[in-house]
Amino acid sequence: MKIAIFFGTETGNAEMLAEDIATGLEAEHETSLADLADSSPEDLKVAELNVIVCSSYGEGELPASAKPFAAQLADSQPDLSDVRFAIFGLGDSEYAETYGFGSMKLAELLVARGARALDERPVHDAASADLPEDVALPWVTAIIDGLAT
Amino acid sequence: MGAKIAIVGAGPSGCYTAQALLKRAPDLEIDIIDAQPVPYGLVRYGVAADHQGTKGVARQFARLFTRQNARFHGNLRLGHHITLPDLRRAYDVVVLATGLAGDRALGIPGDGLPGVIGSGALTRALYEHPDAAALPSLGAHPVIIGTGNVAIDVLRLLAKTPDELHGSDLGPAPTDWLAAQEIRQITVVGRSRASAARFSPVMIKELAELSRVDLRLRFPDDAEALNTAVAATSGPLPVDFRFESRPVALEQVDGALRLTVETPAGPEQISASSVISAIGFVCDGALDRAALLQEADAAPPGNLYTAGWFRTGSVGAIPQCRDEAQALAVEILDRITPDVTKPGRAIFAAHKSIVDFDHWQRLDALELSSAPGNRCRQKITCREELLNPATHEDA
Ligand SMILES: Cc1cc2nc3c(=O)[nH]c(=O)nc-3n(C[C@H](O)[C@H](O)[C@H](O)COP(=O)(O)OP(=O)(O)OC[C@H]3O[C@@H](n4cnc5c(N)ncnc54)[C@H](O)[C@@H]3O)c2cc1C
Ligand SMILES: Cc1cc2nc3c(=O)[nH]c(=O)nc-3n(C[C@H](O)[C@H](O)[C@H](O)COP(=O)(O)O)c2cc1C
Repeated sequence: MKIAIFFGTETGNAEMLAEDIATGLEAEHETSLADLADSSPEDLKVAELNVIVCSSYGEGELPASAKPFAAQLADSQPDLSDVRFAIFGLGDSEYAETYGFGSMKLAELLVARGARALDERPVHDAASADLPEDVALPWVTAIIDGLAT
Repeated sequence: MGAKIAIVGAGPSGCYTAQALLKRAPDLEIDIIDAQPVPYGLVRYGVAADHQGTKGVARQFARLFTRQNARFHGNLRLGHHITLPDLRRAYDVVVLATGLAGDRALGIPGDGLPGVIGSGALTRALYEHPDAAALPSLGAHPVIIGTGNVAIDVLRLLAKTPDELHGSDLGPAPTDWLAAQEIRQITVVGRSRASAARFSPVMIKELAELSRVDLRLRFPDDAEALNTAVAATSGPLPVDFRFESRPVALEQVDGALRLTVETPAGPEQISASSVISAIGFVCDGALDRAALLQEADAAPPGNLYTAGWFRTGSVGAIPQCRDEAQALAVEILDRITPDVTKPGRAIFAAHKSIVDFDHWQRLDALELSSAPGNRCRQKITCREELLNPATHEDA
């Protein structure tokens, strides 16, 4: 399957996880990896599945590298009704009131443009002992298996 | 074989620079040198013990050494074990990312009196930096000068109850020290208006959640986060924010410190059992920063670059270190011309005291496994044990 992986990051953790996902999938799939900062909404129309990793910053805002992309989504109002995406959040439950808000806001923007969200939106908690890749890889594999059947 | 680059300083700036370089040019030979036997600079010894999520960037930096082929040379101090000219002769490029370890002085009469403590010195002691001085006595009424995030970090730690430090990596000695201070009141003094203070609103929000504090504002202002926090807190520990108060002098009066500040209501005096200055950092004098910055910026460019706090001054947090490192990596790669005769890391062969990344991984595992139930890590603190983890293992 053709899978495009994107990340929105502020300090690089989402980029590292996106790389891990790409590495985990590349043996069986045709993968690409890009920073949302270098991407436009049109880029979501290329692959059969888009996997997005996005952190939260400030008071539940999008991380710096996802902001221009979100602005484009709002400004150019693209039609994303043929787009399928799965989004994984990075957050920190110490920020209880805005936990996982960055990925949530991005998902909402995409859905508002007609894109279809696959599965739940897991959020990895930086305050937990879990490793994000241990949570994200089984999650993405299950989604892909679901699409194949 | 790729060009050889030495990066001095394994803090965020040095590590992000190496990461950005290796992403673009994986065949570079990158050596990261640090004076300490352990990597990561202020991620380990500055970022607050109760902000573990922020320290998550260390996982990225570890990959430099475990997957991306960068080498860590710890316990090697530039200017002591090795000179800059030697390093520049051995490498195609040298990047100075040594940060700023000196506390900016208040610059007012009395700023050198006993009881006046720099926030850098204090946080190094709290976070068990091997070169830190002993933890000072703060007394019942410490005054913090400065209204940046570092000032709020210090305030938050002083104001937390032992329970609120659960899950942090604050060591047993600093934990006992905090409990022994018996602080009754904390005052935070800043020159600007509250609405112009540099701290971020999330930091204030976090203060509002502490059980003990009772935040108060001397001059009312439209600073939203602060006003909300003032309204939300009513604990037993008064914390007075005194904005628009410019420190002008410190004196010793009857065994206490007396701080005079200039306010819109005229001069005022604040009595303090200790004064913690958190107004930024300067070079500690180990390197001639001004001359090195000038040389690194000189045209045509030589093989010397500067990064991070050493380059910009103590402004900017970890995200800025990352942005700047990416720009610096592009600049370096645009200009570099590898010289195959450069010896690179071979010049360290005679330095038997250097520790490598495997060494850090052993320390890291020990620190994680020896943590008590209410802590996520127990730091190994003295240099001797950091250099010989086995002595710790046997203990
Ligand atoms: C108390 C405090 C709390 C902070 N909290 C946060 C936070 O929560 N979030 C955030 O984003 N930012 C925070 N910051 C800011 C952040 O730490 C800095 O932006 C960042 O660490 C700067 O990185 P650097 O690599 O330039 O310097 P440093 O992190 O200081 O790294 C410099 C490295 O160089 C080494 N070195 C120094 N001299 C020599 C020498 N002569 N030879 C060899 N090695 C040498 C040092 O040992 C150190 O490892 C905080 C800063 C402080 C002071
Ligand atoms: C200043 C700051 C603010 C943050 N705000 C939030 C937040 O509002 N909600 C959340 O879930 N996580 C928050 N986080 C946690 C980050 O999302 C988390 O550390 C993540 O791993 C960062 O990933 P990145 O490196 O890809 O940006 C914040 C972290 C910092 C340092």
